[in-house]
Amino acid sequence: MKRQKQQDVFADRPAANAAPDVKQLRKLAGDWLKLRRAEVELSQADLAARLGLKYYTFISQVENGFSRVPTEIMGAWSRELGLEPAAFARHLLMYYEPEMHRLLFGAESK
Amino acid sequence: MSVVAFERKQDNGEWTEKELNTLVAVLGAMAPRTGRAWETGMTEQGDAQFYLMGPLPEQSCEICVSRIGKRYILEDGSGRLLFEHRNLELVALHAKAAVPSTSWLMVRAITLWCAVRNTINEKFEPLLVEGEELFVQFVPQLAAFA
Repeated sequence: MKRQKQQDVFADRPAANAAPDVKQLRKLAGDWLKLRRAEVELSQADLAARLGLKYYTFISQVENGFSRVPTEIMGAWSRELGLEPAAFARHLLMYYEPEMHRLLFGAESK
Repeated sequence: MSVVAFERKQDNGEWTEKELNTLVAVLGAMAPRTGRAWETGMTEQGDAQFYLMGPLPEQSCEICVSRIGKRYILEDGSGRLLFEHRNLELVALHAKAAVPSTSWLMVRAITLWCAVRNTINEKFEPLLVEGEELFVQFVPQLAAFA
């Protein structure tokens, strides 16, 4: 069941033919993160507290597409969203470093 | 009886004109000459945020000023808390100090200089080496004529 859910949540992908710019991709990543957080019924403040952040403003910064999820807290962030860290990182790589993602997983993800 | 209309400090919602003017005067003013840009946004609880973004192509957030209650929070683009205070002018000055100072023009100049050096290395150095080799070959003959 969990596997099925994980497959579904990672199904969202940026349109391959549109070639959106870095900023747009970060915004798409933010929207995806916001959806995942809503699914586990956490507020930005809840998530920030669980990640050990004093304020929730950084969660908003990331979800609004102005910053990336830092690598050092990616694992913790994924666990709080109930997602498997490797799949979470791989999915975010698709937005943050699309060319790297294509080189690493291009054949598999199609 | 007249009531003096004290300006009430806003603690939720969008930036007031005064707050935005303060931030733009300090941070927004440096944006064009350094290739940076600024934008505003909100947290899900309706707290105002001001983002100073780095140059293209990344344009990621370098500095973020947020208003939570009556406090102003200064963070960098990695979520590190840099400063917090009730005085926005003070927070803006700290934000300015936290922005990497290399100007966009300087970056362009360095890039141009590297490109010129690279061109010189690739195009002209082989010619110089060739000339030097020819010179070395002809020196004994020139010496014989002398």
